[in-house]
Amino acid sequence: MLFFSFFKTLVDHEVTVELKNDIQIKGTLKSVDQYLNIKLDDIQVVEELKYPHMSSVKNVFIRGSVVRYVHLPGSVVDTALLEDATRREASSQASKTKQG
Amino acid sequence: MADIDDGTSAPAEPLDLVRLCLDEIVFVKLRGDRELKGRLHAYDSHCNLVLGDVEETVYVVEEDEDEEEVVKTVHKKSEMMFVRGDSVVLISPQASP
Amino acid sequence: MENGANAGDGRDPSGFLSEIIGSQVTVKLNSGVVYKGELQSVDGYMNIALEKTEEHIDGVKKRSYGDAFVRGNNVMYISAD
Repeated sequence: MLFFSFFKTLVDHEVTVELKNDIQIKGTLKSVDQYLNIKLDDIQVVEELKYPHMSSVKNVFIRGSVVRYVHLPGSVVDTALLEDATRREASSQASKTKQG
Repeated sequence: MADIDDGTSAPAEPLDLVRLCLDEIVFVKLRGDRELKGRLHAYDSHCNLVLGDVEETVYVVEEDEDEEEVVKTVHKKSEMMFVRGDSVVLISPQASP
Repeated sequence: MENGANAGDGRDPSGFLSEIIGSQVTVKLNSGVVYKGELQSVDGYMNIALEKTEEHIDGVKKRSYGDAFVRGNNVMYISAD
């Protein structure tokens, strides 16, 4: 849930998604779901010459499982907040496994 | 598995090691001959990560004119990135080659 | 279930794993890479924490790590040295 919430805070920001097949797509993050599937608007393929397909495509839905990286603008990420949220998630996970 | 856990003891489970790396520089080995070094800002149980000030190293095998295989290293930088956990192989605090 | 009464007597896999915590182990990954170190902990996904770890690729020592977390899905086997 941590990363789902995190990506929701990045909606309407420009990100670059790098796929496991090396294609990089830059675009505006429009939506994300619990699987970290991603919708991008106004897309542009990085290294278009190498990957000429999709040059006419305006927006994409990317299945979460094919994503390798998402490059983010550093300025919109509150790292202290993110680390706190991570610690909270980690301790809630720990108490879950102790019960199970 | 944690049958001798007194509740306060150090690393009872492997992900505790990653928790101790928060806000520290980590070395991450990924599938596909890739390595990252950067500051760890977030992780979850799938090993999804957020890293800051990242240097990525990619090892690529190429053929030279004599058709001999040479390994090339490519370096890239990213100020902030999300890494999907399924690519992660190993996480180590600090560590340099 | 894996915390049943016989866990730790070495007769089932998770019993074996909790028995060898603290010992020197060899971990082989599906990629063929081998890690040798002291086993700190293991969880149900076979995620592993190792101490004083050496990385061997094609039998050649490549790197060493003070601490290393290995994601369970990459693990082929863990053996007590």
